[in-house]
Amino acid sequence: MMDVLVQQLFFAGAEVWLAVMAMVLLVVGAFVGNRATAAISYASVLVLAAAVAFIIGLNGHPRVSLFGGAISTDALANFGRIMVFVTAALAIVLGDRWMKRVGLQKFEYPVLMLLAALGMSVMVSANSLISLYLGIEMQSLALYVLAAFSRDNPKSSEAGLKYFVLGALSSGLLLYGISLIYGFTGQVGFAEIANALPTSSKVGVVFGLVFMLAGLAFKVSAAPFHMWTPDVYEGAPTPVVAFFSSAPKLAAMILTARVLTEGFALATPEWQQVLIVIAVLSMIFGSFGGLVQGNIKRLLAYSSIANMGFALVGLAAGTAAGVQSVLIYMVIYMLTSLGLFAGLLVTARQGRPLESFEDFAGLAKVRPGLALVMTLLLFSAAGIPPLAGFWGKFFVFKAALDAGLVWLAVIGVVLSVIAAFYYLKLIKVMWFDEGDRPVDGIAWDAGLVALAMALFVGPISWFVLPVLEPWALRAAAILF
Amino acid sequence: MDAQSLITFAIFAPLLGAVIAGFFGRLIGDRAAQLSTTALVFAACAASWVIFLQVFSGSLEAFTLQYLRFIDVGSFTAHWSARLDTLSAVMLVVVTSVSALVHFYSIGYMEEDPHKPRFFAYLSLFTFAMLMLVTAADFMQLFFGWEGVGLASYLLIGFWYKKSTASAAAIKAFVVNRVGDFGFALGIIGCFWLFGTIEFAELFPQIAAKSDVSVAFLGMSLPAMDLLGVLLFIGAMGKSAQFFLHTWLPDAMEGPTPVSALIHAATMVTAGVYMVCLLSPLYEFAPVAKTVITVVGAVTALFAATVGLAQNDIKRVIAYSTCSQLGYMFFAAGIGAYQAAMFHLFTHAFFKALLFLGAGSVIHGMHHEQDMRNMGGLARFMPVTYAVMLIGTLAITGFGIPGTYLGFAGFFSKDAIIESAYAAGLHNGAAHMAFWFGLIAAGLTAFYSWRLAFMTFHGPLPKAHEGAHGDAHDDDHHHEPHESPMVMLIPLFVLSVGAVFAGYVFYDAFVDHHQAEFWRGAIYTAADNHVLHDRHDVPGWVLWAPFVVSMLGLFGAFVAYIWKRGMGKRVADRGGPLHSLFYNKWWFDELYDATFVRLTRVLGDVFWKVGDQKIIDGFGPNGFAATAAHTARRLAKLQSGFVYHYAFVMLLGVLVLGALGLWLSGVWG
Amino acid sequence: MGLYDIAFYIISAITVLAAVGVVAARNPVHAVLFLILAFFNAAGLMVLMGAEFLAMLLVVVYVGAVAVLFLFVVMMLDVDFVRLRQGFAQYLPAGLVGAIVLLVEMLVVTQAAKDIRQPMVAELRHPENVRAIGYELYTDYAFYFQACGIILLIAMIGAIVLTLRHHPNVRRQNIARQVGRRREDSMEIVSVKTGSGVEE
Repeated sequence: MMDVLVQQLFFAGAEVWLAVMAMVLLVVGAFVGNRATAAISYASVLVLAAAVAFIIGLNGHPRVSLFGGAISTDALANFGRIMVFVTAALAIVLGDRWMKRVGLQKFEYPVLMLLAALGMSVMVSANSLISLYLGIEMQSLALYVLAAFSRDNPKSSEAGLKYFVLGALSSGLLLYGISLIYGFTGQVGFAEIANALPTSSKVGVVFGLVFMLAGLAFKVSAAPFHMWTPDVYEGAPTPVVAFFSSAPKLAAMILTARVLTEGFALATPEWQQVLIVIAVLSMIFGSFGGLVQGNIKRLLAYSSIANMGFALVGLAAGTAAGVQSVLIYMVIYMLTSLGLFAGLLVTARQGRPLESFEDFAGLAKVRPGLALVMTLLLFSAAGIPPLAGFWGKFFVFKAALDAGLVWLAVIGVVLSVIAAFYYLKLIKVMWFDEGDRPVDGIAWDAGLVALAMALFVGPISWFVLPVLEPWALRAAAILF
Repeated sequence: MDAQSLITFAIFAPLLGAVIAGFFGRLIGDRAAQLSTTALVFAACAASWVIFLQVFSGSLEAFTLQYLRFIDVGSFTAHWSARLDTLSAVMLVVVTSVSALVHFYSIGYMEEDPHKPRFFAYLSLFTFAMLMLVTAADFMQLFFGWEGVGLASYLLIGFWYKKSTASAAAIKAFVVNRVGDFGFALGIIGCFWLFGTIEFAELFPQIAAKSDVSVAFLGMSLPAMDLLGVLLFIGAMGKSAQFFLHTWLPDAMEGPTPVSALIHAATMVTAGVYMVCLLSPLYEFAPVAKTVITVVGAVTALFAATVGLAQNDIKRVIAYSTCSQLGYMFFAAGIGAYQAAMFHLFTHAFFKALLFLGAGSVIHGMHHEQDMRNMGGLARFMPVTYAVMLIGTLAITGFGIPGTYLGFAGFFSKDAIIESAYAAGLHNGAAHMAFWFGLIAAGLTAFYSWRLAFMTFHGPLPKAHEGAHGDAHDDDHHHEPHESPMVMLIPLFVLSVGAVFAGYVFYDAFVDHHQAEFWRGAIYTAADNHVLHDRHDVPGWVLWAPFVVSMLGLFGAFVAYIWKRGMGKRVADRGGPLHSLFYNKWWFDELYDATFVRLTRVLGDVFWKVGDQKIIDGFGPNGFAATAAHTARRLAKLQSGFVYHYAFVMLLGVLVLGALGLWLSGVWG
Repeated sequence: MGLYDIAFYIISAITVLAAVGVVAARNPVHAVLFLILAFFNAAGLMVLMGAEFLAMLLVVVYVGAVAVLFLFVVMMLDVDFVRLRQGFAQYLPAGLVGAIVLLVEMLVVTQAAKDIRQPMVAELRHPENVRAIGYELYTDYAFYFQACGIILLIAMIGAIVLTLRHHPNVRRQNIARQVGRRREDSMEIVSVKTGSGVEE
C-alpha cells in the first residue's frame, strides 16, 4: 500500500513539486514581503526548470495511470507539461521585470503563475471528467486574478471581472455537460466512458458533449465563445496576456484532444461536425474581426481566435496526424505569440506602452532591430514560408486534407490569407509610415525573449521541426 | 597554348572584361575600365585569329569542348560547351575582330560620355554572349547566346536611356525579337520532341532517317523538317531583321554608333544567317523551308534597298543597307549556297563595320549631326574619313572587274551569291526571282551608297547647319567640322584593309575550288546540291550584270547629287507616290501600329479594364477586400463590451451547437 | 405515486419557483430571500436522496454563510436594481426564445434517454453519510480533494492580492509589540515642581 502511494507520488512528481514549492514560496513571500519578489520569481523559474528536467527524465516511460484514474503520466501529458512550464517560466521573467518597471511588483505573481501552471499540468494529464474540471478551474482562477492584477487600472479590473463572470458561465456549461455525460454513462473516467458508450443514449451523450465542448472552447477562446478575448487581452497586463495567449490554450487544446479521442472516439463523426463549425466560426471571427482593430493587443486577441480556429481544423481531422499537427501548430503559435507580446513590452514612449498602430508608425527608423524582430514574428504569424508559422499551417491543413476535409482546408487557407492582412498592415506601418518620435530605452529581458522567439520562428525552427515532428507524433499516438 | 585553351580564353576573356568594367568600373576608373576591356577583347581576337589560321591551314580538326552540365532532367540534357569547326572559327574571328576594333574606336567616340565603364561592360558582355552563340554545341546554349546578345543589344540601344526615343527603340527591338524567339523556341522544342536531343552532334545524323516524318497540325499534315525549318527561321528573321520583322533595326540606330557597327551590322544581326548555315543538315531536307527563306531573303534585299534610297539619316541609310545585305545572305542560304552566305557575312562584317564607323566619324566630326541634308563638302574637313568611306562604298557596291580577281571584298561575295542564284534559278522559280531581285537591289545599293557619299562629302556645307550649331554647343567645341582623332581612325584603316582584301584572300577557300577542304563538313550540302559548282557555268552576261547595274546606280547618284545638284532634293520635295512609299519605309511602322499595336492595346484594355479590374479585381481581391472590411465592421459592432451580450452569444452558440449535435446523433453506428 | 414522489415534486416545484423569484423580484433583498428558499429546497432534495450530511452542509454553508453575506452586500452597496434592469424587456424576447429552444432540446434528450436506466447513486461502502464521504475523500478521491484545496488556496490568494491594501496612515494592532511592552519603555517618573511644568 505504502509503496503504491510512493510510486504514484513519484509519477505525479511534477505536480506535487509545483504544489509544494508554490506554497513554500508563498509562505516565504508572506513573511519577507515584496522585497523578495525578484528572488521568488527566479526561484519559481528554477522550480519550473526542475519540473521540466524531471519530466524529461520520465521521457520514454510507458503510460502510468495515477490516483485511481484521475490523471496519467504519458507522452502527451509530458509534451504538454514541458511546453506549459517553459512558457510559464518565460512569462514569469517577462512579467516580473515589467511589473518592476511599472511599480506593480508583487510576490503573488510568480506564485499564481506556478499554480496556474499546476492547473494546466493537471489539464494535460487529466483522465477523468472531474480532474478535467478541477484542472480547468485551478488554471482559470489563477488567470482571473492575474488578469486583474493591475488592480488600480480600471481596464485591468474590468478585464478580470469580465473574464471571471464569463468564465463562471462557461464552467456552468461545462459542468452541465459533464453531469449529462455522467448521467447517461454513469462514468467519469475517459476510458470507462468509452466502454460505456455503446450502451448509453447517444442523444444524451452528444448533447452533454456539446456543452462540454462549449466550456472547453471558451478556454481556447474559440468562436462563438471568444467574446471575452479582445476585452481581456486589451485590459490585462501585457505579460499576463502573453501567458494567456500561450500555455492555457495549449493545455485546453490537449485536454480537448484527449477527452474527445479517449472518451468519445465512438462519437467522432458528431464531434467532428461540431468542431468544424467552431473552427470555421473562429477563423471567420478572428480573421475578419482583426481587420478593423487599432489596438495591437486587441489585434493579437483576434489573431489568437483565428489561430485557434486553424488549430481546431487539425483537431477536426480526428486522426493521429491531426492531433500531431495541432501540437506542432500550438507550439509554434505559442512561441510566436509570446514573442509578439514580448515585443510590445520592449519599449514605451514616455512610459506609455506602445499599443496602437500609430505608436508603431515609423518604428523601423527609431528601433530598426525591434522592427526587424517584430517583422519576422509577424511574417511567421501570417504563415509566410519558410518561417515556422507556415509549417504549422502546413501540417494542420495537410491533416485536414488527408482526413478528407478538403473544403475546410480551403476555407482555412482563404481565411488565413485574410488574416495575413493585419499582420502585413502592422509591418507596413512600422516600415513605411511616417513618424520618428523617439521611444524610451530598451527593456532587455523582453527584447531578448522577443529576439529568441524571432530566431525560433526563423532559422532555429528548421532544426527544431525535424525533432518536434516525431515528438508530437509520439505524443499524439497515445490517444489512438 | 593548344586550341582548347585558346578558344576557352577567347570566349571568357570578354566576360571577364565585362565583369571588371561592369562591377568595378567605378572603383578602377574610366580609363582602366576602357583599357582592361579593350585589351581583353584584343587578346581574344588574337586567340581567335590563331585558331582560325590553324583551321584555315587545315592543321586543326573540329572538336567540342564540354565545360559544365547545364540542365539534366530526364532525357533532356544540355551542356555549357565550346564547339569549334570552320563555321564557328569564321564567326570567332569576325566577332572578336570587329568587337576589338569597336572597343578601340569607342575609346575615342565615347570620350565625352559620363558612363564609359557601363558602355564598355555592355560591349564586352555582348561579345561574350555572341561567342557563346557561335560556339554552341546544342540548342540550349545557342538560345542562351541568342538571348544574351538580345539583352546586350537592348541595353546598348537604350544606352542613352534618358532619351525617350532610345528607350522606345530598345523596347521595340526587344519586343519584335520576342516574336521571332517564339518561333525559335517552338523550333527547338520541336527538335527535342522529334529527335529526343538538342545536341547538334547527336541530332544531325538522325535527320536523314527522319526526313519524311510528318506532323499533324491544325488538321494539316506537315513535313516535320519543313515545319522545324520554318519555325527556326522565324527566329532568324527576328534577329536578322528580315521582312516583316525588320522594323526594329532602323530604330536601333538610336544607340551609339559603335554599337550599330558591332551589333547591328557586323555580328548580332548575322546570327540568323549563321544559324541557318549551321543547321544546313536540317535545311537540306526541308525544301519548303528553303523556299521560304529564299523568298523572304530576296524580298528583304529589294525592299530594304528601296527604302534606303529615300532616307536622310546617315545611319538609317546604312541600317537599311544592312537589312538588304542580310537579305542577300538569306537567299543565298535558301538556294543552298550556304558557303556564299557565310562568305558574304564575312566580308560584309568588314565593310559594313567600316561604313558605320566611318559614319560615326562623320557624326563625331559634325558634332552629332546625323541628317545628310545638313551635310556636304566634308571631304575637305575630314579627308581620311572620306577616303575610308570611299573604300567602304566601293566594297559594298561590289566594285571589281568581272572575270578577274580584281575587286573589293563585296565584289567577290555578292557576285558569288548572284551567280549562284542564277544557277539555281534555272530549275527553281524562287531562286530565279531571287536572282532578279538581287540584281535590282545591287543597282539600288550602288545608288544609295553613292548618294550617301555624295551628299555627305561633296558640294557645299549648308550654312544653316553651322548657325544652328553654334547655339547648341559649348565653346570648347570647334564649330567647323573636324577630322576624328587617331584612336578612331586606326580601326577604320584596319577595316579598310579587310574591306579591300578579305574577298580576294578568302574567295578560294570559302566558295571556290577549295571550299570542301576549308569547310570540312561544317556545312552540309545534299548530294543533289551543286549550286556552288554550277555557278561557274553561268553565261557571261550574268557575270557582267551586277557590274553594269552598280555602274548605273553610281551614274544615277552622280547625276542626281553632283551633276544636276538639287535634283534629288526636288524629287524628294515633290513627294511622288514612289518616293513617299520609300521615304515612309512602305508604311510598315504605321501598318503595324494600326494593326498589331492598336489591336493589342484594345485587347489589353479589354482584359485590363473589363477582365481584370471589373471581373477579377471586382469579384476577387478588391471585392473581397471590401466585403472583408464590411464584415469586419459588423463583427466589431457585435463586440459591444457588455458582458451580457457576450454571455448571450455564448448561450446562443451552445444552443445552436446543441441542436446540431441532436440533429447529427441517431444511434451508435 | 408514493409519498416520496409527492415530496419530490413539491420540493422541486418550490425550488424552481424560488429560482424564478430570484430573477424576477424587484427588491434585491427579496431576491436574496428567494435564493435562501431555493437553497433550503435543494437541501430537501438531497435529504430525499439520502444525503443528509450534504443537505446539512448546504444549509450551514450556503444559507448560513453565503446567502447572509449576499444579504449584507446587497444592503450595504445599495445597488440600483432599477437601472440594472433597464433593457430587461428589450432582451426578454430573445432570452425567451433561447430558453424555449433549450427546453425543447432538453425534452428531446430526456425523451431519447427515457428507457436507459443507469444507477444514479453509487453503492456506498459505508452506510453512514459522514463516514462514507470521509472514506471516499481520503482514499479514492484524495487527488481531487487536494486539487480542490489548491483551488481554494488560489481563490484566497486572489482575494487578498486584489483587495488587501496597506494604508500607511492606518494604525494597526501589533499584538507582539503590545505584549512585549515593558514599563520602562513607556514610562518615566519625574518629580515636577509646582508651577514650573515639565521640561523636554
